[in-house]
Amino acid sequence: MTALQNDQKSYADLPEARLFAVLAESLKQPFTTIARTAELLVESPDVVLLRNIESTADAATQLLDHYLLSLRLQRAGTELNLEPVSLAASLTEVAHKLEKAAQQYLCDIELHIAGRYEPIMAHSAGLSAALLDLGTVFLETQSQRTHTHRPVLKLAAHRTRHGIVAGIFADVEGLSTDMFRRARQVYGQAATPLNQVTSTTGAGIFVADALLKNMSGGLRVAHHQKLTGLAATFVPSQQLVLV
Amino acid sequence: MKTILLIEPDKLLAQTQQTYLERKDYKVVWRQTAESAVMALDEASVDVVVLELNLAVHNGVEFLYEMRSYSEWQSIPVILHTNVRKGQLAEDALARLNIADYLYKPSTTLAQLVQAIEKILQPALTT
Repeated sequence: MTALQNDQKSYADLPEARLFAVLAESLKQPFTTIARTAELLVESPDVVLLRNIESTADAATQLLDHYLLSLRLQRAGTELNLEPVSLAASLTEVAHKLEKAAQQYLCDIELHIAGRYEPIMAHSAGLSAALLDLGTVFLETQSQRTHTHRPVLKLAAHRTRHGIVAGIFADVEGLSTDMFRRARQVYGQAATPLNQVTSTTGAGIFVADALLKNMSGGLRVAHHQKLTGLAATFVPSQQLVLV
Repeated sequence: MKTILLIEPDKLLAQTQQTYLERKDYKVVWRQTAESAVMALDEASVDVVVLELNLAVHNGVEFLYEMRSYSEWQSIPVILHTNVRKGQLAEDALARLNIADYLYKPSTTLAQLVQAIEKILQPALTT
């Protein structure tokens, strides 16, 4: 499309600014929503609109917070304090936190944690933050599509020979390994790096990726029960197995 | 009553816009994607299109090319109401895509959006 130009010259030589650029671009939408909803409320009060402002502001603040956490984890580097974390507990906690947003986006949340998993060595807050950001973006993508039935977001874990794969899965048409690889190359420069999946910058996905890179190698496209999603592979803690 | 086709992917923002426009006595047809917006053009008699360029799968530019390829839709005015800054558009894009107005969404109030719509519909309103 020649009508739209990427800001390739703006951020290409500032790799550390790319994540901030995608975040800043992403935050225009919630702040616009808050301002326009407030404009409407000046004319007549409406509890539903006030709740929209509240949820929009909360989501934007959360994303900023998680971005800052990703910077702290990155700065800690090899000195990052990892701890044994129960994936099942993390996924359950995040599923609970996503319920309110899921109701707003008319989606259902399901947990699929078949079997028992050993604790993994991770940064607990970083892991929860990453899953929450992923879940929020996926809820937004589901709300932008036409469905024949109520869409479902699955928070799931399953075992592979490489470790325990945990992430968020949904009916996300267009999400593929190639697409995600290209998105990683252009985020912060392209307005919609995940344009086959979402109309937004998908900042939450890149923040989640940054958070998880410090404990698992980052996100990749994965599949769970015929659904596609984004997940990370975690190695179970061998220390706790020996104890 | 004039009909606005509002193409806005963000549900919460679209609900706010729709409520405001309906209070100003417009009929609003809201769609989130380019594909569903093309179908809406087919189903309803639209007087003006308000369009966000950043859409999932097919963006607003693709929607415009599709829309303008049909003779019966070529004269429908389109207002870009978008997060895409004017500087990110190619120089001749507005003319090439036959855009009636460009509004940068983050700094455009609902009242200003209505003013832009009224300005475009003015000749039709006064006849």
